[in-house]
Amino acid sequence: MDHQARETVGYSFSESTASGVKQHGFYPYTDNGGSTLGITGSDFAILAGDTRSTSGYNINSRMVPKVFKIGGDDETGEGANIVLSVVGFAADGTALKERLDTVVRMYKYQHGKPMTVSACAQRLSTILYQKRFFPYYVHAILAGLDEEGKGALYSYDPVGSYEREQCRAAGAAASLIMPFLDNQVNFKNQYIPGSGEGHALAAKKAEPLPLETVKGLVRDAFTSAVERHIEVGDNLQMVIITKDGIQEVYHPLKKD
Amino acid sequence: MDKIVAQYSRPSYQNVYSEQDQQDLTESLPPLSLKFALPPVANPSAFLRAMTDDHSNPSCPIKLAHGTTTLAFRFQGGIIVCTDSRATAGNWIASQTVKKVIPVSRLSRGEDKPTNEPTPGLLGTMAGGAADCQYWLRYLSQQCTLHEIRHKRRITVAAASKILANLTYSYKGYGLSMGTMLAGVTPQEGPALYYIDSDGTRLPGNLFCVGSGQTFAYGVLDANYRYDLTEQEALALGRRAILAAMHRDAYSGGFINLYHVKEEGWVHHGFDDMNPIFWKTKLESGEFSNVTSEL
Amino acid sequence: MAASKAIMRGPTIIKAEDDKTRQLNKNTLMAFSGEAGDTVQFAEFVQANVQLYSMRNDTELNPAAVANFVRGELARSLRSRSPYTVNLLLGGIDPTTQTPHLYWIDYLASLASVPYAAHGYAQYYCLSLLDKHHNPNIDLEQGMKLLGMCTDELKRRLPIDYKGVLVKIITKDGVKEVDFDNDKIVRSA
Repeated sequence: MDHQARETVGYSFSESTASGVKQHGFYPYTDNGGSTLGITGSDFAILAGDTRSTSGYNINSRMVPKVFKIGGDDETGEGANIVLSVVGFAADGTALKERLDTVVRMYKYQHGKPMTVSACAQRLSTILYQKRFFPYYVHAILAGLDEEGKGALYSYDPVGSYEREQCRAAGAAASLIMPFLDNQVNFKNQYIPGSGEGHALAAKKAEPLPLETVKGLVRDAFTSAVERHIEVGDNLQMVIITKDGIQEVYHPLKKD
Repeated sequence: MDKIVAQYSRPSYQNVYSEQDQQDLTESLPPLSLKFALPPVANPSAFLRAMTDDHSNPSCPIKLAHGTTTLAFRFQGGIIVCTDSRATAGNWIASQTVKKVIPVSRLSRGEDKPTNEPTPGLLGTMAGGAADCQYWLRYLSQQCTLHEIRHKRRITVAAASKILANLTYSYKGYGLSMGTMLAGVTPQEGPALYYIDSDGTRLPGNLFCVGSGQTFAYGVLDANYRYDLTEQEALALGRRAILAAMHRDAYSGGFINLYHVKEEGWVHHGFDDMNPIFWKTKLESGEFSNVTSEL
Repeated sequence: MAASKAIMRGPTIIKAEDDKTRQLNKNTLMAFSGEAGDTVQFAEFVQANVQLYSMRNDTELNPAAVANFVRGELARSLRSRSPYTVNLLLGGIDPTTQTPHLYWIDYLASLASVPYAAHGYAQYYCLSLLDKHHNPNIDLEQGMKLLGMCTDELKRRLPIDYKGVLVKIITKDGVKEVDFDNDKIVRSA
């Protein structure tokens, strides 16, 4: 997505005590690459991400998960019903996740009930917007089950504009994965054969997909992205939210 | 030597989180004080521009979602509000399904429910930074609700637009980017339409188009606009003007989102894919003669 | 084909009755805008060459040939030390088939055959209008009406006064200037 950011990997030192007279380029961001993806169904939601962490052309780690359980137990994440994925600048991502996690847990203590996904989605938007003038360099996706038990997925820009969607890819390989999702999840540019000639040809209506199909799509999306994007690889982390709780699985991806 | 040491060392104890910060962290509600984090540099807006303004710096690291063509006009039957649905971040189409018409005020806030009953309240439109518009129109919504509770009557469009304009003016120079229109019908004003932008401009008017496709929408709208348009004519004109902008402006596209604001409230007239509408318009009315099948 | 009548240098309008068109041969006309000096120099250079061709070969070039010649000259100039910065509209009637042609050419030597065209800020306002109201079968009267809609819109929305337009029409009998009401007052909504 962005090249400038990678080439000028900046390190920021705290300002000298002799009052900041000279202001060298203040560049507090770096892009840690990777990609995330979320798809919902009628009674589940899946959030997935690769586990590679890069800076420039270096691979820092092959096991840095990007998908987090929000509002659960400190260590295990048990009891959570909301999942957040962040991609972009990992430090900002961690900070954002910590902040949202705190907020959701405080909500539970104060109100005696878990936060709904729609409330959490709105709260995440304001958290991002609080840093409108010094943004979190992240693309966030939030997933869970709504009040009716349907899969809910919200996607965000770095300063908090958000929208509920059926599917969304973010991060380095978003431009590779998103068109695939448009076609396979929302059936964009798919038509019903024999329904008409030319402009009368009827478009195929999108409908919620079964869990196994969606799992397949997620794995296909990532194995394909790995083939064509250098910042994606190592492992696929897949978090599946159903009424029975949150299930987390890892699949190996290519390590090159 | 002391100088060098001073430059690269820091006090053994640094209070990273102030008491207020710590409270903000543990508080589950957003603060009411409208305090925003600022980067620790001399000129925050220049920093923000370097990081996020893809117009002056195409390789900026943080690409923000931007909105595009929106229009609203007054006519004898109320106000028509129409928008496209595309959000772009640089050349990347971030979304084709953005809802750029945002209901303002407590009664009408929330998801659009499939109802044919008019919903009372104002409508705001979104052009420029998507987050700026969403956040501040929601803030305006809160203020309108508070007004309703305090004064036992709905806020006028003039007052609501003034709240928003004062707000954008107070953040002038910080780098907000929004061009929004507020439309509503109140007993005091009748149909009222205001344009508010991030420079602090606030204008009442009959007809506004905002966004990168504004000129194309103006072209169609101006030529056929009359105050005494019928409801059907007005809806068709609004839809056609957005279609024109989608056709000529690459940053506009997706779905046509059409609203009609009446005395009783606003009515949603569809969120329709532009492609079939384009071909229907071309084939049935013989328009868009620049699009041909020959190569 | 219409072109504004004002010539501007910085803040001043130095001429209000300018003709920004040149007739290239009996049935092709070219309108131009762009860098001061370049415009007329280039237009007259092209005009001279097209006329020279007509004299040498005792035949008129058709609009397509003229357009491609102009594009070629512009492309050659673009790769020289001092390129011409001119945007052109080239309209004409093919003398053999009697069909009208319009070409849009910009200073980077892009050539496009189009049913209607505009350069500069005008295109942002007029193209959407023409998309809606133009169809290939309109007669002269409807065409003039359409032009009127365009100039009305420019008067309404452009922040500058371009001092009206000069209108010429190209028919199979040649090029002639026609009267156009530039004094109409247009009211904004």
